[in-house]
Amino acid sequence: LGVAGIVLVAILAYWSRWLLPLAALLYLLIVVPTALLCGFWQAVIVSLSAVVAQGLLAARHSELDMAADRANSITLLVFIVVALIVSRLSSRVTGHAREAESRGGQMHDLYEFTRRTLQMNLHVEPGPQLAELVHEIFNLEAVAVFDADLHDVYQAGYWSDDPLEMAQNVYYFETSDDDPETGIGRRVVRLGSVPIGSLVVRGDTSPLTNNAIASLIAITFDRYRAFANESRIETERRTEQLRATVLDSLAHAYKTPLTAIRAASTGLGEMGRLSPGQSDLVSLIDEQTDLLGELTTRLLTTARLDGGEVAIHVAPISVGTLMEEILAGLKERLASMKVELDIEDENLVLSCDRELMVMLLTQYIDNACKYSNFGTTITIRTLVAASEVIFSVHSYGPVIPMSDRERIFDRYYRSSTYSNRAPGTGIGLSVAKRAAQIHGGYVWVTSDEQDGTTFFAAIPVITEKESAR
Amino acid sequence: MTQAVIRILVVDDEPAIRRALRPPLVELGFQVTDASRGEEALQVLRATTYDVVLLDINMPGIGGIETLRRIRALSPRLPVLMLTVRDQEEDKVEALDMGADDYVTKPFSTRELIARIRAAVRRVHAPARAEDAPIEIGEIRLEPVKRRVTKRGAPIRLTRKEFDILLCLMSRAGRVVTYAKLLTAVWGGDCREEVEYLRTFVRQLRKKIEDDPSNPLYLLTDVYVGYRFADAQMFLGEAAGIEPESQPAEEEVPEDAL
Repeated sequence: LGVAGIVLVAILAYWSRWLLPLAALLYLLIVVPTALLCGFWQAVIVSLSAVVAQGLLAARHSELDMAADRANSITLLVFIVVALIVSRLSSRVTGHAREAESRGGQMHDLYEFTRRTLQMNLHVEPGPQLAELVHEIFNLEAVAVFDADLHDVYQAGYWSDDPLEMAQNVYYFETSDDDPETGIGRRVVRLGSVPIGSLVVRGDTSPLTNNAIASLIAITFDRYRAFANESRIETERRTEQLRATVLDSLAHAYKTPLTAIRAASTGLGEMGRLSPGQSDLVSLIDEQTDLLGELTTRLLTTARLDGGEVAIHVAPISVGTLMEEILAGLKERLASMKVELDIEDENLVLSCDRELMVMLLTQYIDNACKYSNFGTTITIRTLVAASEVIFSVHSYGPVIPMSDRERIFDRYYRSSTYSNRAPGTGIGLSVAKRAAQIHGGYVWVTSDEQDGTTFFAAIPVITEKESAR
Repeated sequence: MTQAVIRILVVDDEPAIRRALRPPLVELGFQVTDASRGEEALQVLRATTYDVVLLDINMPGIGGIETLRRIRALSPRLPVLMLTVRDQEEDKVEALDMGADDYVTKPFSTRELIARIRAAVRRVHAPARAEDAPIEIGEIRLEPVKRRVTKRGAPIRLTRKEFDILLCLMSRAGRVVTYAKLLTAVWGGDCREEVEYLRTFVRQLRKKIEDDPSNPLYLLTDVYVGYRFADAQMFLGEAAGIEPESQPAEEEVPEDAL
């Protein structure tokens, strides 16, 4: 169209002599729009045809003033150069605009991808959903997402070959690149610096977009894992709470019949007129009811500790007072035992929950009573070491095998050495351990033939954590 | 005892416990009436006079604590023994602070329950002791006017606070005095929470009055609740097997005096 315009102008100029000096301007009017609209090379062709047309016109009108003719030719050349520059600038601006438009599109796609991944259902594995989303939103030919944790590849779109190997290789060899020939982009999906999978795409995307997609996939994988972990913890917590509630209600339900049995059996004893045999049987009922009562109390305590129901009342209490209270509670139990008390500093004040500490040490002493050899002494000792008070209860009894020393503090575990010797449930020591842990302390046991068995509990004297509570 | 028959009102929502209590109590000469709720107990109490009430702390309806409050409004001096469970120390303290005479923890032995019933009835029927009359329990004698304490006739040196604690406990011998009551009585209302402070004094006191402070005979601990000075009856019974009426007269201290 431009060339036709030039020819038309040349013909008009040929026939109308007055138009001849203006021909150059008219050519420019054609060259500039051509440069703007069609591009550089089209403008060059139109410009060349304008130069040829002007040359031909000049040859026809040889009678024209040579000087004027030369000036016109130079003007024409200048205009052509200007036109070419304009075309160059114009093509650059157009290029930038196109690039910006394309980037805007990519940004929009990335935004959409982010939004959709945030709304993703994390109750199921995110891999298949991610592959589908990348394929759909970025309009790619094919997508493969490799989850190294589950060792599975999720694909969307059409792959001529199985992308599993390719995706695995990207992960194992940590190769992130873009191949313009095949249009395939490979990315290692990393969380921080740790590779957790890979992404392989085929289609029209930019390296930057591929990077962004890989990062979003990494975040989604991480969110899924955190969510799954949280759900697992929540489920465990609920199960534990349910178990604690059941234990609690069971223990409460046992209390009433126990009270009635004990009242009845002791009532029988009080009424008198029982033969020695009958008295024996009544005493047996009494003893066994006591045992059942203790067991239910322990169950209640465990249920509360495990159910997280225990409200911790941290208050200062001196070691001397604490021991005194414990011994008062165990008075009957200790009446027939030899007990030695060795308190390093009875005025030392401990910041703790009195009830829990009493429970812990009562358990230790009660254990020593149950398992110590007849006639031996139980030694209860407290000493201060660094910032801890260490309570210990020592007795001579059967040695606890090395393999059992950790496990006896686990709930329901009973050492094979003890299981046939004395009544027990395997609950008490787990309660002791929990009580120590609640105070930021810990428990352990030493046991051998020569030195006997010692249960320890180390409780921090005053920690910042406790004083903040 | 001077009174012929002790009339007991047993208030517990559990029929099994009421059934288990009735035969031995009747057999031992008590007159027993049952009630399954606090509301029912209050009705019965309005119609008949009783010597002692056994009141379960956990009951449906108005519950043990509220029933106790209403009983106190009805008859302030009627001995009330609460039936509690082990892990409800706060309820025990609340009941004692509200005027319960004593508590028995389930599962209890009938022997212990009967001893507590008798002690509670005895206290209420005992002639009023003059405020400054000497108190003698076992081997310990306390003279409020002279502020003197002796054991087997030998004087015991006590600080002012130690004496006040001992006086407070001995004048209520056989009854639990909650930490808060004891603190208020000795140090005033601002110190209700300073239990550790009290424990330190009690430890010192035990060293002075007990033969074996780690195995006290007089100054007893009711774990989590308070302290109790041994009932005089315990020592009298041991010494001569005589009837409780011969114990030293006790002062009935109004609640607001603590």
